[in-house]
Parts: sequence; structure tokens; C-alpha cells
Amino acid sequence: MNTQEIRILSSQTRLNEEYIEVAKDDFRLTCVNIFRKHNALLRLMFAADERAETGCFRIYAVFSVKDEDRFVIVNSALGTDCSYQSITPDIPAAHWYEREIKDMFGLMPIGHPSPGRLVLHESFPAGSHPLRKDWSISDSELKVWSEGVVENEPYNFMKVEGEGIFEIPVGPVHAGIIEPGHFRFSAIGETIFFLEAKLFYTHKGTEKLFEKIGFEKGVQLSERVSGTSSFAHSAAYCMAVERLCGAELPERALAIRTLALEMERLYNHIGDIGNMCAGTGLAVGYAKGALLKEELMQLNARVTGSRYLRGVNTLGGVKCDFLQKAEDINSTLDHITIGYKQMMDMLQQSVSHLERLETTGVLSKDIAKSLGVTGIAARASGLNDDMRADHPHLLYHALHFESNLMAKGDVYARMMARAADAECSISMIREILSMRFDSRLAADIHKVPAMQQALGYAESPRGSLFYWVRSDSEGRPLRVKLRSPSFCNWPAMPFAVHGNIVPDFPLCNKSFNLSYSGCDM
Amino acid sequence: MLKQIIRNLLSGKKTISISQEDIASARAALAGLEELKTEIDSIYSRSIRIRQVDAGSCNACEWECTALTNPVYDVQRFGIDFVASPRHADMLLVTGPVSRQMELALRKTYDATPDPKFVVACGDCAVNGGIYNSSYAVAGGVSKILPVDLVIPGCPPSPQQIITALLAFLKQQHR
Repeated sequence: MNTQEIRILSSQTRLNEEYIEVAKDDFRLTCVNIFRKHNALLRLMFAADERAETGCFRIYAVFSVKDEDRFVIVNSALGTDCSYQSITPDIPAAHWYEREIKDMFGLMPIGHPSPGRLVLHESFPAGSHPLRKDWSISDSELKVWSEGVVENEPYNFMKVEGEGIFEIPVGPVHAGIIEPGHFRFSAIGETIFFLEAKLFYTHKGTEKLFEKIGFEKGVQLSERVSGTSSFAHSAAYCMAVERLCGAELPERALAIRTLALEMERLYNHIGDIGNMCAGTGLAVGYAKGALLKEELMQLNARVTGSRYLRGVNTLGGVKCDFLQKAEDINSTLDHITIGYKQMMDMLQQSVSHLERLETTGVLSKDIAKSLGVTGIAARASGLNDDMRADHPHLLYHALHFESNLMAKGDVYARMMARAADAECSISMIREILSMRFDSRLAADIHKVPAMQQALGYAESPRGSLFYWVRSDSEGRPLRVKLRSPSFCNWPAMPFAVHGNIVPDFPLCNKSFNLSYSGCDM
Repeated sequence: MLKQIIRNLLSGKKTISISQEDIASARAALAGLEELKTEIDSIYSRSIRIRQVDAGSCNACEWECTALTNPVYDVQRFGIDFVASPRHADMLLVTGPVSRQMELALRKTYDATPDPKFVVACGDCAVNGGIYNSSYAVAGGVSKILPVDLVIPGCPPSPQQIITALLAFLKQQHR
């Protein structure tokens, strides 16, 4: 079969989003064609319950075309059988999305190699799908779900059997102050043969809540999806809603958002480099990283009133003009730069630290590419994935920066990718502060148009971040899809730790520094 | 690295004041910390051990708890520390709106903590569910699941607010 046999039912282009509607039976082939012929990347995949308007469920797959600032969004209406041909066998990056869609909408991916539950745990009632518009749950079902004892749909861990293999279950409550998740190691002696991560313990029904609370309050919710990416989440969410409304943002708002994104990236990267020292037991490095991070958090609080840059974004622009505090930001950065250089020099000279990082937790480029890994993890494995360069938004087209590629994909490469990125952030912050903008902070958004859809995105400290929003016939949110970078990167973790020793797992984990809350939604 | 250690030893500055803006309030806070240490000394024989449990938080509250142990706040110098196991804890500090999928793990952690024990609900989500309150997937606050002894509001509460709240609470227990 080739492209000619696919009948495009409708196509519509708005900004850099190209929507292509095909029949359900052509969905898989269309996706595969775009994926292979245009060397495209699957950015996200989701479903929407449009039964009130068009009488059907619809599935969407968003691809970004290589070397072009263009998103191709393939979509199909599903029939009453609520199923479609899985694209996972051809595009492995789709595997979690299809399982998530099955959990939340009850749409069956036919041909998926492992279509078990993902988001909802065993005790959630069978045949119940929270993102359906007519969904409801009884108190007794909620009780059973909370108690977590009854298995309504069993969760089957992969069993590894053979001489000398034993299982180590860890979590969901861990030893450190970190987020909850369950890891099951199948180890041969100290060596990890297989790791299965059961996540979604922090699932909070965020997407359903977005539909309930309306577009405006959604800004606050987006800031609380993943704590250390609060700003990136709200920037991407606001961008989606603003594009939906056709709002043009004043340049000052774009500059402030870019500035805050880079400030968020900087405190994350410096803190993460410090945390990796905790993984190797290098207390001096850990303390130094924590100290520098704290200084940046206090800077955030002084200029925006929030250590996590919350409350800055609003639909149409920003509420807080901290470009005026350039002097404070510049002088703090002077201090940070000195301390950061000291820290990196020290780490580079610390042989026992480096010895633990090199050749540990290698993620190969092939696996990273096929799983759609994003951000630091992708760049450390030699994949050039950076939304700031690939899809320039906000002020990024006017700024000078390089995406720093590493090749080896080990823990050391991830540390150095962070270090290079942190230096880029410092220079970008200084560049923005040296520019001049008019004084308007926000565009007016009066009304959200009915039955429109739009994509919003950002490069968060962890990688590409997407929001997709659609309004209903009354201009309220019909669907808000969020895709955090951690959702793409978690499936890669088991590949990176394979063959490493169990005590190196915390180090590998810290080198990825993935968000549980952002992934679990 | 040796160079760095020597530099750290020679430079006088080990911790920085909690608030750079308001020196007076920083002094008061530091005085408060001394007071906290006295309280802990008298009630818990010099130490209180906290087990932190994330029950569906966005992770901002966790990072503020982690910040308590950084060189700026350095709560360990007052005998407060976070422990790896509930078996070693005097206090459970719970964050997040208690997602339904974490409820069982939270109950088990509580049961594993020896008596006497305190439960702290830290952050707006833990206090009453916060912005997630009306979601189907959360219980809506720690008090729906466990008896709560202290609430610390804030989204997230700053490290300074957490220390201040702990002090007030411990003083109250002493009386």
C-alpha cells in the first residue's frame, strides 16, 4: 500500500499545526507513512470524547516533522466498536499513549503487544473510563479503589525465572524524600537483569479536573502538575489557550516567559548536578549544588514572590514584571557563576565521582530514538531534541544558544549535557536582560471561541512538554491533554539500568531526574 | 576536592541568613531555631525523627523538605532529621492530596510507625486537597485518612514556614 490509497477526509492548517483527518482504517498507515517518510517524531497521542458534537470518539497523533517548524496531527473518528489499529508495532514510542487511551477512554488498540493497564491500578473498577463524558463512579467503587486490595483487573509483573535470579521489590514509599513509584528488579547477584517500574501512584485525575474548572483557573492547576517545572507547564498551557483564542502576546510578556523558563532550567540543572553527587556519596558536591540551588530559589522568591515561579503566568501574558529587577538577577548570577565554576572544577577533578558516572546507565541512541526520549536524556544520547531550536517560540528565535550534544548516553553524559545547558541558560538570561521591550504585559482575552483546538509547548528542564486544548460549543474546555517529558522518558529507564548493579540505580535515576507527578497526571 | 574542603574550612561563612531582605525577621527566625532546639532537647532527648511521605504531591513540597537539610537551613544541627524508614520515625510528614492509588501505602506507613507518633499535613493539598480537592482521584487531604496533629498550609510552604510551624507545635506539646 502507498500514500495514494489513503483518502484524506479533511485537512486544516492553523499556525504551525496541520490537522489531517483520515478514516479509522487509514489511521495506522497514515501515521506510519509520516513517521517513516518524513523522519517525523511522535510527540504525543491522545483521544477526545466528542460524542456530544460529532457522535464519536476521536484519536489524534501529533508528529513533528524533522528540520521544519511544523506539526502534523493525524486524527480519526472511531466507530461504535471503540477500537483502532495499534501503531505501536511500527512506532514503539506510541506504546504508553495507547495504553493510557485504553484506560481513560476504553478505546482498544488492536495489535498492541502489551495492552494491559497503565494509569489505573488493579483495584479500579473494570470497564470504567474516567475521561468519558458520561463517566461516573459510585462511592462503593471509590472505596474499593482506595483500599487497593481487590484486583478488578490483575497487574502482571514480568516474571524472570532461572538459576540465581531473585526479585527485589522497592517502593512505592522510598527511603529518601522523593516521589512514590514501585520498582521491581530481577537481579543476578548485584547485576540488574530486568527492571519493571509500576508508576501512576500519584495519579490525581488532572486532565479531568482541567475540564471541570475552566480555562482560567487551569493556569493555577497547570502550575501544580509538576513542582519543579511549574513555570514550563503553565507557559505551555497558556500558549495553547492563547493560540486557541488567536491572542497576540506583547513582546514584553514573551520576554518575561522566556526569562522565567531559563531561570527554572538553571535552578533545576544546578540542583540536579548536585543531586547526582548524592548518588555517589560525594557530600561536598551535594552540599554545593544544594547551596547554589537555594540561592536561585531565593532569587525567584525576591523577583516573582514565589520560589517556584508560580503566579507569574496568566492567560494572554504575565502578571508580574520582573524585567525591572534586572540588577538583582544579574548580580545573583555573577555570584552563582563563580560558585558553579568551582563546583564543576571540583567534580571534574574528583576521580572517585567520575569513575561512578562513566559507562554507568548507558541509554543507546537507537533505543532513545525509538522510544521518543526527549530533553537532556535525548541530548546526552546524541539525539538533537530541543523544542527551543526545533520549534522556536516565545523569544527563542532572537536568542543565541546551542543545543549541546553528547554521544555516550551514560550518567556522565547526562551530567555534562546539564552543565552545558546551564551555561546556555545563564547567557540567555543575560541576553534577555540586556534587551529593551515596550511596557505592555498582557493581551486581552475576552472570550474563548467555541469548538476550536490548539497546541501549546515548551522546552521544560526535563525536555519537551505539550498541552493540547479543545473548546466545546460553549467555549469551555472539552479536552485538555497534557504530556510531560517524563511520560516519554520513564519507559527508557529500564533499558538504561540493564546490566548495571542495583546500588547504581539511584544514581541512574537521579541522572534522568524524572517527574512522577508530571507523568502520572 | 581537597582544595575545596580547605577553602570551605577557611571561609567563615557556613550558612547564610534565612532571609536576605529582612535582617530583623531573619534574626527572629534564627532565635526561633535556638528555641526549637531547646524544645527538642527537652521533649525528645535531643532529637526528632521525621519520615516524609509523598501522598500524591506535585513534588514542590518534597523539595522544600529537602531544602531543610541544605547548608542554608541545615535542620540537622537542631536535632531534626529525615529518616529512611517509618520504623525509626517520631513524626510522619505527609504531603499531597492523598491520591487514591497512594492511600493504601500511606495507611501501611502509618501502621509501621511506632507509637507515640505525630502526623503533620504539609502543604495546601495535604491540608484539604488544595486545587485537587474536587478530583475523583484524590481523597482530599490527609485528615480524611489519618488523625492529623498539625497542618502547615502553603503551596508549597517555604522551608522557613515549615520550621516555624514545627516550633509552635512542639512548644504546644510541651505544655
